[in-house]
Amino acid sequence: MRILVCAKQVRDTQAHVSIDQSGERVIVDPSAPSRMNKYDEHALEAALSVKDSLPETVVDVVCVGPSEWAPLIKRALGMGADNGIHIIADDDEYVSPWATASRIASFAMDRGYDLILTGVMSEDMMNCLTGPTVAELLALPYATSCVLVRLDVSRQVVYVEREIEGGLRDCLELRLPALLTVQSGINKPRYPTLSNMMRASRQTLETIDSASIPGPEHTEVLVGLGYPGKIGSGIVLEGSRQEKAVKLLQILREKSLLV
Amino acid sequence: MEKSIVLICEHANGKVSPVTYEIAAFAHELQRLSNGSLIAVVLGEHVQQAAGEIAAATGIDVLGLQIPGLENYSGEIFRDVVSEELPPLDPGYVCIAGTSQGLDFGPSLAVRLRACCISGVERIEDKSGQVVFSRAIHGGKIHANLASAARTTVLIVQPGAFRPMSAGSVKPGSISLKIMDRGSSLTRSIGLKRMQSGGSALAEARVIVSVGRGIGKKENLEIVRRLARMFPRVAVGASRPLCDIGWLDYSQQVGQTGATVTPDLYFACGISGAPQHLAGMRGSKFIVAVNTDPNAAIFNMADVCVVEDVVGFVSDLLKESDGSSEMADKSSPANEAIRP
Ligand SMILES: Cc1cc2nc3c(=O)[nH]c(=O)nc-3n(C[C@H](O)[C@H](O)[C@H](O)COP(=O)(O)OP(=O)(O)OC[C@H]3O[C@@H](n4cnc5c(N)ncnc54)[C@H](O)[C@@H]3O)c2cc1C
Repeated sequence: MRILVCAKQVRDTQAHVSIDQSGERVIVDPSAPSRMNKYDEHALEAALSVKDSLPETVVDVVCVGPSEWAPLIKRALGMGADNGIHIIADDDEYVSPWATASRIASFAMDRGYDLILTGVMSEDMMNCLTGPTVAELLALPYATSCVLVRLDVSRQVVYVEREIEGGLRDCLELRLPALLTVQSGINKPRYPTLSNMMRASRQTLETIDSASIPGPEHTEVLVGLGYPGKIGSGIVLEGSRQEKAVKLLQILREKSLLV
Repeated sequence: MEKSIVLICEHANGKVSPVTYEIAAFAHELQRLSNGSLIAVVLGEHVQQAAGEIAAATGIDVLGLQIPGLENYSGEIFRDVVSEELPPLDPGYVCIAGTSQGLDFGPSLAVRLRACCISGVERIEDKSGQVVFSRAIHGGKIHANLASAARTTVLIVQPGAFRPMSAGSVKPGSISLKIMDRGSSLTRSIGLKRMQSGGSALAEARVIVSVGRGIGKKENLEIVRRLARMFPRVAVGASRPLCDIGWLDYSQQVGQTGATVTPDLYFACGISGAPQHLAGMRGSKFIVAVNTDPNAAIFNMADVCVVEDVVGFVSDLLKESDGSSEMADKSSPANEAIRP
């Protein structure tokens, strides 16, 4: 079984973000910690748990992003992935998820993966597009928002349960090779181990220059960034914490919302 | 010829899903900015009833694609059929709801149509003759405004972002039905599985005290429960991450993949206000939010914004309420969703 996991780096979601002077770039507080996109971490864990039960499984991790993201791939190796591939993209401008997907697809095209896993969404750009776009570019069957993944190697199928609305799950079987996007809640990602981290520090990553990969023809263009507008009447309580508490109680009483 | 604006409708068991009317409202707004005739497409095993309802309520012409055996959604069949049926309609735009279906087949449909794809669309605007689509990034703290450079654009619209079209007195649209024989070869649908009955305590509550990752520690949930006891007919809700780690039950999750609620008061404790969360609670009549981050997206929706540490603030609130919460403590246990 050969599995490819697609992973990217994000800044902690609680970090302060603002828009730069050009109005086209997001500035994230540089002191905020970086980590793996949480949905990708769940995807990696899903791949590693296949490897736990089928030890001959090979898990590769591919990351499209700037050179600074290399430690993220090392961390994935530390968690137990076998090989790391870094498609180096130092884009300074808006990147369409289609461009990211093209880069992944062109790499994965003739590598013979049985299963490709991605997170359902990236926490920063929130597109939910990269996974299914990769699948379509590779003409693979796919399923999104998977909360349960079970491989049947002898039948060359994967059984998945997709989370849908209303407390329901959509259950289906896909013929391998296939691509799945993984939703949170599916598993608890493991921590890297010391021995794996030591192996990772010696291991070289395969690097690919994204400039060598043609991008999509027509995509969306970024017109600009903005702050969302207020929708509620939005009073901001002022004063000490205690004063705010008193004020809120008063508002709730006036609205007859308290017991 | 003028390019068309196609909307793909959702329905289940013969009933049109409410989100379809949000897409219809969005499509009308798009039509005002870009022209083009509207066509609604509905697919399934039985589509006649849904097609009739959509045509009558929206006045949009409906193309019903009746596919024997397509009892439930199948991504494979949807993208095969839609990508075949759309090109003759010459769509400039294809509008799809950002649900578990739309987010599933929409992106690959775009690839097949060689269309550009924009997801999470929350707003639409004309900026000097260019149609601009606005979507949330970074948890909703920033919006990206995007325009399409392609002949065809697939727009995946954020649920809850557009007010559903109300059934007015419109001239019903025409209905054409087409029966198609289609199967799937690479995927096999096994059916739907019910995980929980879906937030009944939340649905009945007049007040929802909801808790997010900002609560920090599991022990701190107790203070939120005490806060809840200050209110009548209350239920405790949660953002998804708290359900994922098992602190609260999935039946308590509010949002796109949880419950949609419309209480008199929604009290958000340490919730950032990601679009997927807002999708489930934006219809609340009054919203109070407590968050340490003054830029948290939840504050854009809140009626009362409290920039404070949630545990400290709620402690003060309990203290200031004259110890009356202590009395309520014994007399009225919070009507929290029961864990299975
Ligand atoms: C397909 C899909 C479906 C989804 N469906 C849902 C859904 O139905 N419901 C849902 O909720 N999410 C859903 N999500 C997840 C969603 O995108 C967000 O990740 C989630 O809502 C964030 O939850 P949160 O606000 O608790 O956490 P965070 O975004 O991490 O926010 C925590 C907040 O707490 C604040 N904070 C930190 N410390 C304190 C403190 N001491 N006091 C006060 N505030 C503090 C922070 O400033 C921050 O704003 C979905 C995601 C996907 C991809």
